[in-house]
Amino acid sequence: MVTLARRAPSLYNATGMTEHAAQSPISIRGLSKRYGKLAAVTGLDLEVNQGEILGFLGLNGAGKTTTIRILLDLLRPTTGSASIFGHSCQKDSLRARSLVGYLPGELGIYSDLTGRQVLDVLAGLNGKPVDKKYRGELQGRLEFADADLRRKLREYSTGMKRKLGLLQALQADPPLLILDEPTEGLDPLMQESFYQLLADLKRRARTVFMSSHVLSEVARVCDRVAVLRKGELKLLTPVEEIRKLAARRVHVFFAEDVTTESFLPAGVEPVELRPREWTLTVEGLLGPLLHVLGGLPVSDLEVQEPRLEDVLIRYYKEDQ
Amino acid sequence: MKAPLILLGYSLRRVRTLVAAMALLLAAFQVLLILVAGSIQGSNSFEQLGELIPPFLRQLMGPSLLSLMSFSGIVSLGYFHLAVMGSLVGLAIALGTMPTSEIEIGFMDMILARPLARSWIITRSIIVMVICSTVVLAMMMLGTWLGLTRFAPAGAEWPTLHLILMLVTNLSVLMLCWNAIAMAIGSAAQRRSAAGGLVGVAALAMFLLDYVARAWAPAERVAWLSPFRYYSPFELVMGERLPLRNLLVLAGITVVGYAVAYVLFSRRDISH
Repeated sequence: MVTLARRAPSLYNATGMTEHAAQSPISIRGLSKRYGKLAAVTGLDLEVNQGEILGFLGLNGAGKTTTIRILLDLLRPTTGSASIFGHSCQKDSLRARSLVGYLPGELGIYSDLTGRQVLDVLAGLNGKPVDKKYRGELQGRLEFADADLRRKLREYSTGMKRKLGLLQALQADPPLLILDEPTEGLDPLMQESFYQLLADLKRRARTVFMSSHVLSEVARVCDRVAVLRKGELKLLTPVEEIRKLAARRVHVFFAEDVTTESFLPAGVEPVELRPREWTLTVEGLLGPLLHVLGGLPVSDLEVQEPRLEDVLIRYYKEDQ
Repeated sequence: MKAPLILLGYSLRRVRTLVAAMALLLAAFQVLLILVAGSIQGSNSFEQLGELIPPFLRQLMGPSLLSLMSFSGIVSLGYFHLAVMGSLVGLAIALGTMPTSEIEIGFMDMILARPLARSWIITRSIIVMVICSTVVLAMMMLGTWLGLTRFAPAGAEWPTLHLILMLVTNLSVLMLCWNAIAMAIGSAAQRRSAAGGLVGVAALAMFLLDYVARAWAPAERVAWLSPFRYYSPFELVMGERLPLRNLLVLAGITVVGYAVAYVLFSRRDISH
């Protein structure tokens, strides 16, 4: 596998930490955006830490893309403020944007350009030179052949456009990456490459703020998740904490028939109870259940890993 | 400064085919008009041609008709023929709504996610307009010069360079004026088709207003609203001097239009 070599452009010091490490990569305070009567984002407070990967989740229309566009000063907030490494996204947006690599949900590029032209134009607009070697390494990781870059975008598949989008966002090796649904359209192998790329970025203290609909992806790569619903932040927590919140599914097998369930402890809910097999959900620790099962003729026990999706979907739907 | 120049270069590359095609066509049109004028001159038919013009059109054109019915007049027509003016104003509107198109496609997201000031988007568009209009008008003048030197019959009275320069100057400011109007409206619009369509219809209405006002007194009272009123090719062909007032009015509309574009574009939400 190709590994990403460290480079030392002016923005970074030798340890790979940015000059801006003292400031939060993203800081959002009381952010609201209204379109007439419609509130796209309401009173959003969010702090993204240096070197973390934060998954920004929510259903379509929850306000994820609106928030991202405010960070990039494409949209102006109705109230509140946002900053990137301490630079206001509105008052000092040039400095803020100079520290960001952005992948939009949809790559809005003229289809008569070649992949190489897109990369060169967008690299030029960054205002600082792009390390061609680093770009070449990224190209290798994303399996982008030189021949592909010579083709016009109209000949690209959805997945290739996505890879090109990732390449343009990453090519300047910015300290903060804002990625809007980065794996949309990527095949499973390329998704895997992307996850490894994210892991490398994290090792090099890059911060990633990504929106996604793929909960298994979020569970795998993110340190924390923020869930938006109807423009309001409903959950902001480490992924590990969510796992603790998730109910585990437990199958208990008995050597002989067991008929009663009246003594199930708190936090244990029956799903299906048959004389020789129980299916239960357990929230919290397993100890109390094991204590109860100790007095029964248990022949086998199967505990399933908690699923992040089960908890997150609850936050998507419920009014809590 | 490098990033803005890269965007400028990229934008010029995007429009080069359109501008080159239009410049060549309009240059060829100048040559064609010279061939036509030469043909009429050869058959000594300018007087007969004048008699073919319907009375209402004579009334519209007034005394300038006489000046137009000459070799020099037909050659000058290349700078105010309906097709020429339509093409040039159309180009000005198309270039003026370039930022709106970039928003619509989503390319503006990619540009403005970089450390590039919004004001540069408008400045870039103005520079592209100035360069493109200069190229097109220069090619028209080149077409006129080539046509005259190659195809003008001996003894034909050429239009003076001064007249051509006055026509080009007045026409270029008119183009900038419509470009500024298109940019101002485009800066508040979500769709290029809406902005371009609106300005296109307005341009046609203003053009008609200017013409109708020449023959219909009630329209004359509001004809000052039309930017075309401040492009006076007939008077120039008749030998009058380029009216400074006309240039100032057009320049004033241009400055206001660009200023509005800067303000609206800097304040708007970029969404598509």
